[in-house]
Amino acid sequence: MNISPTEAEEALTAIQTMMQKTRRAISSSGAYKFLILWGAIWMVGFLGSQFLPKEMAGYVWIGLDIMGGILSAIIGIRMNRGVRTSTPTSSGKRIGIFWLLLFFYCFAAVAVAWPVDGKQLAMFIILFVTVGWIAMGLLLSFASVWWGLALLGLSLVAYFLLPDIFYLLMAFLGGGGMIALGIHMRNRW
Amino acid sequence: MAELNETIHQTVRLRIMAALVTLETNEELEFTYLRDLLEVTDGNLGAHLRKLEDASYITINKTFVERKPRTYLSATANGRKVFSEHVAALETILKSK
Repeated sequence: MNISPTEAEEALTAIQTMMQKTRRAISSSGAYKFLILWGAIWMVGFLGSQFLPKEMAGYVWIGLDIMGGILSAIIGIRMNRGVRTSTPTSSGKRIGIFWLLLFFYCFAAVAVAWPVDGKQLAMFIILFVTVGWIAMGLLLSFASVWWGLALLGLSLVAYFLLPDIFYLLMAFLGGGGMIALGIHMRNRW
Repeated sequence: MAELNETIHQTVRLRIMAALVTLETNEELEFTYLRDLLEVTDGNLGAHLRKLEDASYITINKTFVERKPRTYLSATANGRKVFSEHVAALETILKSK
């Protein structure tokens, strides 16, 4: 079988493209779902903190966090169903368990530190979610690690330097930014 | 010197092998997942997979997951070896340009 160098180059390009596409599909197929989910939770939760009475906003957050923890676990377990591994515990299940544990750690940390005000409670949640985000980034899609760190930085700046508009910043820049990044990741390939 | 493999060189089969060798050796790719990655029809993919299976380059594993039939695909050790030889042959031809 004989082919020209041009045909060989085209074949190698096709191979490289397919390998890259497969790697991306496997690595980022579920990461965007976490971003959209937690972006939506942050947006609703922080808008509640800004505009609802304090006690009611607290209940909204508790409900949203329970829902977020459960949905994150489900997303983790269902991730990468297109890829099956012969090892007994799939990475999807481990990711699901990780999010459940992180949720309980967050709950425990808030309980230990109680009483906390609304902003402190929000910062606890932000710290734990960004830890989860960065861990997911390190495992699945390294580029998103920087976005997680940026969100963490923004949150700390808003918490310490801009307390009056902390909730609004978190709703639109934090929550909105996470949703936009999730949609961008989903549409990338 | 490595030689080109006629079975693998066909465009769709080349892309199938490229996708499957990207996986770890203990991983399998689901049929519909691969079909979406390649953007081909079920029938087209099925025909190419049979040729690769006949050549012992891939393994087709039909099973049930939650009572639904699923087909999982993986590259065999021989398939990985032949594919890397094919890539080496392509690189040799390109260098001779």
